[in-house]
Amino acid sequence: MVETSLSPKPRPIRALQTTPAKIFHWINIISLSIMLTSGLQIYNANPVFGGRAGLHIPPIGLLGGWLAGGRHWHFASMGFFSLNLLWYGLYILVTRRWRHRYVAQNDIKALQQSQNPKRRIYAWHRIVYTSIIPILLLAIFTGIGMYKPAQFPWIVDFFGDWFALRVMHFFTVPAVILFALAHSWLALKAGGERLVNSMFWDK
Amino acid sequence: MDTETQEHLDRRSFLRIAGFSGASLLMGSAVLTLAEGGVGKLFEPLNQKVEELIFRPQQPVPEFPSSAIEPEALIVNSFRGNPILDPASFRLTIDGAVHNPLSLDLVSIQKLPLTSMVIRHVCVEGWAAIVQWGGVRLQDLLQLAQPKAGARYAYFESADGYYESWDLASVLHPQTLLAYEKNGAPLPIENGAPLRLASPIKLGYKQSKWVTRVTLTNQLLPRKGYWEDIGYEWYAGL
Repeated sequence: MVETSLSPKPRPIRALQTTPAKIFHWINIISLSIMLTSGLQIYNANPVFGGRAGLHIPPIGLLGGWLAGGRHWHFASMGFFSLNLLWYGLYILVTRRWRHRYVAQNDIKALQQSQNPKRRIYAWHRIVYTSIIPILLLAIFTGIGMYKPAQFPWIVDFFGDWFALRVMHFFTVPAVILFALAHSWLALKAGGERLVNSMFWDK
Repeated sequence: MDTETQEHLDRRSFLRIAGFSGASLLMGSAVLTLAEGGVGKLFEPLNQKVEELIFRPQQPVPEFPSSAIEPEALIVNSFRGNPILDPASFRLTIDGAVHNPLSLDLVSIQKLPLTSMVIRHVCVEGWAAIVQWGGVRLQDLLQLAQPKAGARYAYFESADGYYESWDLASVLHPQTLLAYEKNGAPLPIENGAPLRLASPIKLGYKQSKWVTRVTLTNQLLPRKGYWEDIGYEWYAGL
């Protein structure tokens, strides 16, 4: 049977995410998970709060098995994690995505004035995913300070002392976990499964 | 199906699931443990290249005022007990790829120029302590021993059996010392008396205590260091 419908051909669904954005998102999730699980393994050698007598992270899900293994994973993943963020930064700069893809004045205005709950959720979504970028940069900055304190002593000085630097580096762990939860929930709320899928595999 | 068989089946499937979960957990950690060595072998050389590239061999690391010293923060880590060395019969040997092998007693070592520094001692475990170390520069000792042209590494042997190896550039850094003073007092035995390595540019496990012998080599031998040989990274630069 030949289709003779007069209705217009369904328009192909516009891609919500570009391929570079998807690649960034994938590499970021994987490398950040490795950084997180191996980082907590390193943490357990001498917990930031209380030293050896301090609270240890339960070993389930930690990566590396022991301190040396945790460090190997941490230092293997750090290049992927930071270079991924670097090229993505250049990409949003060159394509000027930063002008319309991140939180802006109109989101703040929407939160203050809009009665549309969808618009408000969308504003929150943009605030949350924009806010992870400074947290990821903080993780890298404090991490360089701990990895190379003799080469970059000013990073340690910037935070005051070694303990403060360790606290700030560790702070990025709960920050990233809370972000992942809030971001997933808001993405689902703001754009449903279609938005979520678009960031992972939709063409 | 009677209740007994039902219970039997439930128990069987429970055991099967438990068995699968347990096995996959064990397999998972086994795979990750195996991967640990591979990950290290794959990425350690790359990271070392970057570390060597950003290392400034003769650039001193900024020091701290004496008031910043944290006497309680320096944790004592030893892999075996404390060897007691007789200061009178103690000799430091410097040999290997040198023109002028040396055997020095403590009096002659302490006659060499004393370098004092207040630096941050950073442990691989994550803690750090600001410490004053006083001692003789390896730079000065090796000037006496005259390294041969091909020398690229230094091996450090300790009285307790601990061993380490360093790249020569880091050994020749102006703040790499064989120290005999800590925080203004003679070096305590548990910190490595009579002589220990002290430096702001390497992690703590590179800084051997109770050093008795320095041997320069042209090659890095398969035996790199106590902790390195069981998995720690070799360069460990700060």
